[in-house]
Amino acid sequence: MDHKLLLNFAIQAGEIMLRSGAETYRVEDTIMRILSVYDFESIEVFVTPTGIIATIDDKNIEMTTKLKRINSRTIRLDKVALVNDLSRKYVLGKISLQDAIEELKKIDKISPYQPLILISVTGLTSAFFTIVFGGNYKDFLISLSIGIILGIIQRLFINLQLSRFLADMLGGFLVGFLALLLTSIIPSTNFDNIIIGSIMPMVPGVAITNAIRDTIEGNLLSGISRGVEAFFVAISIATGVAIALKVWLPF
Amino acid sequence: MILQIISAFFATFFFAILFNVSKKELGYCGLVGSLGWLIYLFIFKWTDSVIFSNFISALSISIISRILAKLRKMPITIFLIPGIIPLVPGAGMYKTMYAVLNQNFKEAAFYGAQTFEIAGAIAIAIIFISSFDTLSHKKTK
Repeated sequence: MDHKLLLNFAIQAGEIMLRSGAETYRVEDTIMRILSVYDFESIEVFVTPTGIIATIDDKNIEMTTKLKRINSRTIRLDKVALVNDLSRKYVLGKISLQDAIEELKKIDKISPYQPLILISVTGLTSAFFTIVFGGNYKDFLISLSIGIILGIIQRLFINLQLSRFLADMLGGFLVGFLALLLTSIIPSTNFDNIIIGSIMPMVPGVAITNAIRDTIEGNLLSGISRGVEAFFVAISIATGVAIALKVWLPF
Repeated sequence: MILQIISAFFATFFFAILFNVSKKELGYCGLVGSLGWLIYLFIFKWTDSVIFSNFISALSISIISRILAKLRKMPITIFLIPGIIPLVPGAGMYKTMYAVLNQNFKEAAFYGAQTFEIAGAIAIAIIFISSFDTLSHKKTK
């Protein structure tokens, strides 16, 4: 058995999960379980939202440590589910290490939904949330168009690799500005409902949920850092909307 | 009200696509979101307390997500993250910001405190259910 190969596989599985928006404790747990397949004397795994360290040691092998830094994160819950499934299969012995490594490479290459779908979905999310928060059919249509524009702008920001916080602030500004502009042109519409609905696609849902779940599992460092991330994203969006309102309202 | 619940289904469904949830699970995500919103509206009508309705709704969403996670053999977050989204106090945040902007600090303090209370209620609800999670998987180790 090649222990380096095993360690590489475990870390890579963890890396894909962490990059895709899994909870830190789940990543730690997955790596731990994969490494526990062989009875090493000591296994230590330490994961934070920005990096993974794992060490294995036994009498017959040299102590091996691997560190992996995570730079970019995108939300790919499909990959989280697939890697989770694969690691379970491996731990239960249903798949060999070689096959698992091949499978992992395939999972990493799965492409996300088409940009066109994501853009229209951003619009639809905005539109339906506007109804959920009490908007009428005119608000629905306005949110739909704002959401689609927001979706296009977000794609652009991702391609430009703009910082998340700046992107959300500009997104908030765009939503606020367009909502005020369109509601002033079209009668019997409500800009509150439209703004609240249209900012929903930017809400840091993964950061909020993972912050809570990581804290519970005793991963306090990750809990705090994800909580801070969620808080600053919220502040960025609010600032963006506030600038739009401040610029518009005096007129 | 029925329109709102149907909209909650689609809102959560489309939100799940934004997070790249695989196609097979999207319908379940929508279901969790709309059930959560139904419970929220129902409890709110009954008790008239925003905090309490958010708490009960988040509790139900966590339980439903947990059951779905077991049935579908998926990580719980696949259902929990999109499902909880309608409850996120975006409106409270917006109202707080709006009041601050208008120098209406009394209102800002009210909405600000309410937003934090809602966020706290949701967190406690998730913690409550996730703690059972921890118990069961520590046992199997």
